[in-house]
Amino acid sequence: MRLLFFSSSLLVILLVPRASHANPLDAFGFGSRGAAMGGAVAADVRDFSANYYNPAGLALAHGFELSIGYVDVVHSLSMNGQDNNVDPVKGLVAGAVVPGRVFGAPFAIGVGLYIPDDRLTRVRALPQSQPRWELYDNRNQRLVFDVDAAISPLPWLQLGGGVTYMAATRALLDITGDVDAGTPTDSLLRHQVDADLKLVAYPQFGARVQLSKRAALGLVYRGQFSLDLNIAANVGAGARLGATGSGMDITRIVLAMTSDTVDMFLPQQVVLGSSFEPIDGLHANFDLTWVNWSAYVPPVTHLGVNLDLPPPPGGWAQYGIKPPTSPAPIVVLPIEMHDRFVPHLGLEWRAIARSAWQGFLRAGYEFDKSPIGQQSGVTNYVDRDRHAVSAGLGVRLIAPSSVLPGDVRFDTHAQLSVLPTSTTVKTDPQDPIGDYTAGGHIWNVGLTATVGF
Amino acid sequence: MVAGRSMRFPWLRAASAAVVVALSSTAGASPEDIFGFGPRSPGMGGTGIASSYGADAAYTNPALLSRVKRSYLTIGVQGATFDLHADGAGLPGRISVVAMKGIPVGVEVPIPFGGVLKDRIAAGMAFYTPSDVLLRAKILFPERAQFPLLADRSQSLAVRLGLGADIGHGIRVGAGFAVLANLVGTIDIAALPGGGVGAHVDDQIVATYSPTFGAAWDLPFDRAPDGSPRWRVGAVFRGTLDARFSVEVDASKLSTLKLPVFNIAGLAQYDPAEVGLEVAHERGPWVIAAGVTFKRWSDYPGVLEPTILCGDTACSALTPPHIAFSDTLAPRIGVERTFDLPRHAALRARAGALYEPTPLPSTLPSSQAYDAGSQMLVDVPTRFFDATRYVLTLGGGVDMGDIAPFTVDAWAQLHVLASSTVDTSTASNPSSASLSGRVLAFGMLVGVRF
Repeated sequence: MRLLFFSSSLLVILLVPRASHANPLDAFGFGSRGAAMGGAVAADVRDFSANYYNPAGLALAHGFELSIGYVDVVHSLSMNGQDNNVDPVKGLVAGAVVPGRVFGAPFAIGVGLYIPDDRLTRVRALPQSQPRWELYDNRNQRLVFDVDAAISPLPWLQLGGGVTYMAATRALLDITGDVDAGTPTDSLLRHQVDADLKLVAYPQFGARVQLSKRAALGLVYRGQFSLDLNIAANVGAGARLGATGSGMDITRIVLAMTSDTVDMFLPQQVVLGSSFEPIDGLHANFDLTWVNWSAYVPPVTHLGVNLDLPPPPGGWAQYGIKPPTSPAPIVVLPIEMHDRFVPHLGLEWRAIARSAWQGFLRAGYEFDKSPIGQQSGVTNYVDRDRHAVSAGLGVRLIAPSSVLPGDVRFDTHAQLSVLPTSTTVKTDPQDPIGDYTAGGHIWNVGLTATVGF
Repeated sequence: MVAGRSMRFPWLRAASAAVVVALSSTAGASPEDIFGFGPRSPGMGGTGIASSYGADAAYTNPALLSRVKRSYLTIGVQGATFDLHADGAGLPGRISVVAMKGIPVGVEVPIPFGGVLKDRIAAGMAFYTPSDVLLRAKILFPERAQFPLLADRSQSLAVRLGLGADIGHGIRVGAGFAVLANLVGTIDIAALPGGGVGAHVDDQIVATYSPTFGAAWDLPFDRAPDGSPRWRVGAVFRGTLDARFSVEVDASKLSTLKLPVFNIAGLAQYDPAEVGLEVAHERGPWVIAAGVTFKRWSDYPGVLEPTILCGDTACSALTPPHIAFSDTLAPRIGVERTFDLPRHAALRARAGALYEPTPLPSTLPSSQAYDAGSQMLVDVPTRFFDATRYVLTLGGGVDMGDIAPFTVDAWAQLHVLASSTVDTSTASNPSSASLSGRVLAFGMLVGVRF
């Protein structure tokens, strides 16, 4: 087994130096135990965080569990020495595992939830030339809602799967009436809306094989996902200067706008995880995640604007108005992205084992090589390699009272991600943004409490 | 924006305090408010405030989740077809409405505390998702004939979580919440220096929560020989649940032509605050429940919002019509009969009825619109329609007991819209609409015990 462990480690060291992160859970973990162990728990998870790390692990749950926690991620990312004020990622973490038996086989359902403090999701699209930390700026501002089920058909095999839900938006807006170009707030306009929040669900599947008493393997697949925001607005209105009745319309505005945005793209992933217990109470885990970043779609709005605005009799000059023309469509340049392998290392040591309580020390490391190609042209999707070092503590109180015959666990974590500063050099010396240096660090801290029954 | 808080009880205001009903009207809102939720309640006239015992209770009365003793996962299909008519001058007759179809999921879990809390607390979840949308925001011009309280409001996600506790002496209490989502955002369109046009899009989905509180009391008299209660009363409060659509489109920077900022907003979903009371009687294989639900529709601000916001200064932008919705009382009754089978299996038959009065007044105010031909403001009729519904329900189920850990339940509902006439006159054009229609709904759910 040790040979297998070291062989796989070597393989990873040779293959890996590349990787990256996708949603708040990919980037910062789910629950304090997993986050403290660098996310290396695909073969070693049985609590609510299995909804993300490996749904098959739910079938290992001993009893009903409820978990709740909080995570706070603070970015200190800068360009040319100036902090970019990337929004923090902070919110409630919660989940439940409900185990039972179906036809004698261990069965469980689980729910995992991350609810950001400020909103469920945010779709934000910027012009492609505007510099932004592409993987941190907005992509992590989203709800995560996993629902999974798992079964253990054989004592050494667990299988699980489920879906993660999100909502995409399609909206058609109609605006009609009369625009007062002199006093816009006196415009006599009405609107109607035909909008759908459409269900978007992407799957995840997992398997776990107990190789021996001290070794297990996990295999996880997470599906691809993106959030579409499609808005079409039609304005058909007369245009006048002054109150209705004081004069006739000088012309008629017909504006048709379409705004199509793909945001929060989450590439499909495959995780191969391993867990070893070389001595009682010590878990050494290694996971390797393949991330299909090459399929990435950047969050740049495809904007179409058709404007029909005939000049009034006598022309525009008499009104002091320089009319808009139908603008040229935006050409969205392709983004160069590369598939990555992300290595995760995790350790957990049960340092204290008493009859009434246990104490755990945890540590982890992951390396995400930036999947984004050189930004030497017009686009400015800023990213840097990320080294994430984490540590954590855990306390388990065993049967703390007659009301709580199971256990109560408190886990905490702290993770420091370092993004080494480097310089992006532009090919065109006249580039409006110019060369820039970028880098920084990210702090991620959190606490999770679990009641097991 | 709050309408008057009048109540209508032109019918049945007599003696029996239990069933006081508003005459002229009907309403519905989210799918669970229109059709109920779960394998059992929709087949029993939407009762359950005093009689639920499974995931139904996450909606009907979370206090009754405390009756849950085994974990169940329930999943199924649910659908409804709408045949709604608005007849009269300038009206389309049959109004096209997309059929509702979706997946209900229920989870009920006893929480295995020990000691004094043993067998006293359970949690439940009621989840319904339409098969193709989570939420449909159809906010139409007021002169377009529409049933905004019935048709599109059924096309909505429903998520309700609850916790119930048996605190002893036959008293149960519970609490929970429902979740919906608001869509708010901005689209800024501006000309770029190179002659193109750029857009900043920032749209957010923000959760909106609504609390639910419930209580139930097993009355101490007329006990069954085994001591179990035969009479139970239940009460529930559900807070207002709404979902707003609001996107601000700013194209004012496209040129020197002064365009206003468009406030494209409206209320996509709305459930009024509700208080429900019910009494249930269990005698042998029979369960009979009857109750009434008060719905505070008078707080409903209406679907539309102004396209132009005046800000701090007065302006002459158009404002949507103001409709004075009325509070309503909806009585309901349901019955269930259990037929015991060997090995603890059972067959169950259910039936029920409910009366859902409309909160909409019988005379609607006119709306204003700009007429491009005359280049003047004109009055147009407001055609927000709704009608009182009479609902008959049937249901049945099989519990496979020791044979297999499964249950199968099904229900069907027929909603008949009372024929009614709504005055939609404008100052220059008297008109009215004759309303009628029916809704057929069904559901089938399979539960697994684990």
